[in-house]
Amino acid sequence: MTWLVWRQHRNQAYFAAAALAAFAVLLLITGRQLASQYQSARALCAAAHTCGNLANTLTLGSPAMSLVVTAAVVVVPCLLGVFWGGPLVARELETGTSQFAWMQSITRRRWLAVKVGWALLAAAAWAGAISALATWWSSPANALQQQNFQPSQFDIQGIVPVGYAVFAVALGITAGALLRRTLPALAITIGVFAFLRLVIGQDLRSHYLTAVTRTVSFGHLLALPKGSYWLVGQGLVGPGGKIPTTSSPGGGVSFNVSGVHINVANMPSACRVVFFQAPQKVFSCLTGRGYRGIFVSYQPASRYWAFQGIETGIFVALAAALIAVTAIVVLRRDA
Amino acid sequence: MELHDAAVPVIKTRGLAKRYRKVTALTDCTISVPEGRISALIGPNGAGKTTLLRVLAGLARPSRGDVAVLGGTPRQDPAFLAAIGYVAQEVPLYRRLSAGDHIAAGAHLNPRWDAESVRERLTSLDIPLGQTLGTLSGGQRAQVALSLALAKRPRLLLLDEPVAALDPLARRQFLANLADAVAAGGLTVVLSSHLVADIERICDHLILLAASRVQLCGDIETVLAEHRVLVGPRKDTTAIERTHTVVQATHTARQSTLLIRGDGPVADPAWEAADVGLEELVLGYMGQDARPASARLTTVGEDQ
Repeated sequence: MTWLVWRQHRNQAYFAAAALAAFAVLLLITGRQLASQYQSARALCAAAHTCGNLANTLTLGSPAMSLVVTAAVVVVPCLLGVFWGGPLVARELETGTSQFAWMQSITRRRWLAVKVGWALLAAAAWAGAISALATWWSSPANALQQQNFQPSQFDIQGIVPVGYAVFAVALGITAGALLRRTLPALAITIGVFAFLRLVIGQDLRSHYLTAVTRTVSFGHLLALPKGSYWLVGQGLVGPGGKIPTTSSPGGGVSFNVSGVHINVANMPSACRVVFFQAPQKVFSCLTGRGYRGIFVSYQPASRYWAFQGIETGIFVALAAALIAVTAIVVLRRDA
Repeated sequence: MELHDAAVPVIKTRGLAKRYRKVTALTDCTISVPEGRISALIGPNGAGKTTLLRVLAGLARPSRGDVAVLGGTPRQDPAFLAAIGYVAQEVPLYRRLSAGDHIAAGAHLNPRWDAESVRERLTSLDIPLGQTLGTLSGGQRAQVALSLALAKRPRLLLLDEPVAALDPLARRQFLANLADAVAAGGLTVVLSSHLVADIERICDHLILLAASRVQLCGDIETVLAEHRVLVGPRKDTTAIERTHTVVQATHTARQSTLLIRGDGPVADPAWEAADVGLEELVLGYMGQDARPASARLTTVGEDQ
């Protein structure tokens, strides 16, 4: 069966290998430039004792290149789901070739296991290679800006791209097996994948582990955490020591108190008026209404790999559930 | 003949039914096909021929009833699958792969695989082994599919309208091939077809489906011997219906023609009896409405 899988999909495999090679060459060349640029900047600032400010003064590489890398790693899992997952079962059901395969001396279970197994393995390997390249490529920026726990960087480094790719391919396979049509399966794959990635990335991820919160009273200095932590909340400690759950500065006016952004919209309306008329009196207004101080909530840098593991685990578990559905549908339904 | 009669039927179904949501594709289907037969599955479009073949191949599950193929229920088991060959009507093969690729795939997927016979057959038919199947004609693809099914060396071969896409010469060659394979022993064939001439040439067994029901099942010789055509002046048929089953009655202004079933003599001298041909018989059964009891009545050659 492996022979047939390879014969059917070897052109896709060659194409994918060529695309990966091109991406690797691009990243190896630009990545080495980034590394040497960072090294020489470090050497210069060390001599001048200005390394503390390096993140603000140094621009690594070109923003366009960062965008290309980000886009590639974000889009690749979806492409794999569309081009490898979607047609895997759907195309065979659509053209009836599954009937040829199923009338050889091979059970449907084995047929499905071999096809799905190779597709998932190939997706994991491919996404793993892309992600390893992107992680290596980003290492100077990670060292400089310490932002690899931020959603835009977290999503394209480490092991999560592997989880996304495995899930996307499983989703494509399942949609194809259920709908028995390739094109609608592709549309469903894109839609569901994008939706779940957004929901999990934006709403779920920050709650994998309880965030660490630091608070200080007004007038004191809040010591911000070190390293590549992920800031998930900041603002005013409410009456009774209440920490609002959603306090990241959204739209509107915010002001900065010892590095903590406070959104004016989160203040009582009376203090908002005070803030705009006499900003220096805003703290006494807030204190008068029971506000105690300021806070930051964050996920410490040490949790980075735990979060990578949890997120990958979620997507792999979803993929496993989808494959189980596919197996039930393919094995139970009439051919 | 001894071999055929002694053997357990290769196919035996009882009360088989298949329903798809709202459509009934097969009802109360009871058939039996002994080993070594080439059985013709005949019936109008939509009679349930494809459904029956798919159930026998294990590609569809019956809604009700029992089915035994080669002594067991059609199932997902390599040994069972190795013994069954099936070619679907639309001849599904991988269009981007070549005949040679299919032959190689078959070698990987089957315990018995006669790659040499397929290559020889396709070469003799001038079908290129290296060209992708999408570039071949429908008839050539059908030849590839049929050759692949034979290369499996199955004990039961199920063919859904196998010759529909072939030109008359290719059809004749293919049927001769099939007859040779059966003559070599150990192979039973069920093939659906609309072409009575082809059926007369190679088939020795008949399953006639109409309106989702089995109208006839048995050896063609036996079935033909059980039927007669009566021609006589136009008159009431109640007398004859007491002793025989009237399958079809056609009346003109002065004359009646009856297709009857039953062995007993026809008492009324006004009727002139004649033997019936296969085509007449088939048309007679296709033309009548389905009768619930006929499946039981018309199954012959079966020890109940």
